[in-house]
Amino acid sequence: MTTTAASLVVGLDAAVRSGLDALLLSMADDEFVLGFSDSEWTGIAPMLEEDVAMSSLALDEIGHARALYELLAEVRADGRDADAIAYDRSPEDYRHCRLVDRGRGDWAMTIARRYLYDTADAARLEALSASSWAPLAELVAKLRREEKYHVMHVSTWLDRLARGGDEARGRLLAALATLAPDAATVFTPLPGETVLLAARVLANPLAEAEARWRASITPDVVRLELPMPPPAASPERGRLDHSDAFRWLWGEFTTVRRMDPEATW
Amino acid sequence: MTDEAVRDRGVGTTEAGVLEPFEVFRQEKDGGPMVHGGSVLAPDPLLALHYAREMFSRRGESVRLWVVRRADVHELDDPDVLAPPLDRSYRKPGGYVMRDKLAAARERAGTSKPKARGKSR
Repeated sequence: MTTTAASLVVGLDAAVRSGLDALLLSMADDEFVLGFSDSEWTGIAPMLEEDVAMSSLALDEIGHARALYELLAEVRADGRDADAIAYDRSPEDYRHCRLVDRGRGDWAMTIARRYLYDTADAARLEALSASSWAPLAELVAKLRREEKYHVMHVSTWLDRLARGGDEARGRLLAALATLAPDAATVFTPLPGETVLLAARVLANPLAEAEARWRASITPDVVRLELPMPPPAASPERGRLDHSDAFRWLWGEFTTVRRMDPEATW
Repeated sequence: MTDEAVRDRGVGTTEAGVLEPFEVFRQEKDGGPMVHGGSVLAPDPLLALHYAREMFSRRGESVRLWVVRRADVHELDDPDVLAPPLDRSYRKPGGYVMRDKLAAARERAGTSKPKARGKSR
C-alpha cells in the first residue's frame, strides 16, 4: 500500500470512522472464520484435487480477511496491526455472521454454506464497489475479481450435489435446512449504517443488497428445486451469540498466537 | 488446413463424412512434453491421426501424436480467475516477500543493511 495511514482516513469524521470500523470488522471476521473453517478440509477433502482447491479457497478468504484487517488497522490508527485485531480478542468479540458460525460439518454443509455465503458476499461487495471512501472501493474491486472464481467453483458443486442422486441431494437439503435460516445474517444491519449511507461509504442499505442477493440466487433455487432462504429470525443478533463450534475453532486458530503474543515473524 | 479451404473443395457437408477440427499434440523425444502442434480436419479420430502423421511427423519430427476433438477442449482464459490481484507470494517457493518487513525491523533496531560479503574481506 503506497498511501500513508494519515492520508487514508483524512476527512472522515468520528461517526463515519466508527461505522467503517463496524463494517470492516464484520466483513473481515466473516472471511476469517469461513477461511479457517474451510481450511479444516486440508488433507481430508473428498479427493485430492478438491482438497487442493478447497484449501486454496480457504487461503483466499484468509487473504481477504488480512486485507480488510489491514484497512481496519489504518482506520483505528491505534498502533495495533492486522494480526492483533485478528487474534487478540475473546470469542465473544468476533462479529462474523451466524451463517459461518457452525463449524465445518460434512461436505454438503461446506458447499451449502459456501454457496449461501459467496453469493451473499457478492451482493454485499457490489453495494460497496461504488464506495465514496476510495481505499475501500479499491480493495473491493480486487476482492470482487477473486470472488468470481469462488462463485464459479461452489455453483459447480451445488449443481452436482443437487442432482447427484438421493444421498447427495438428501445431504444437501439437510445442510440447507440447517444453514438457510442463517443465510440472511450476512446482511445484519450494522451499527452506524445510516451514517455510512449518508456519507456514501455504503452505496445502498444492506437490506437492499439482501434483496439483490435473493434475486441473484433465484435462478439456481428454481432450477435445482431448492428452498429459498427465509428472512433472518432475529436480524439484530445476526452477528452475536456465537456457538461452541466457533469457540473451539477460535481455540485452534489462536493457539500459536496465545503461546507467544509478542513473537515477530 | 482451414475450414474455408475445405469448403472450397466441396467437402465437409455430406452426412456420411462431416469433417471436424482435431487439435494435434506432438512429442519430439520420448519422455518429452506433448506440445500443441496445430490442427487438422477429419471425419473421425482415426483419420485425424493419419492426417496428423502427414502434417506433423512426415519428416520424422515426432515420436508420438495425440489428437483431441476441438469440441472436447474446454477453455478458461479469464484473468480474474487465472491471475487474481491479491498477493500470492506465499504460494511461491521463496515464500513471503520479506524486503519491507526486514527494512522495518532494521529501522526499529537502528541497524543498517549488512554489506554484501566477499569484497570487504
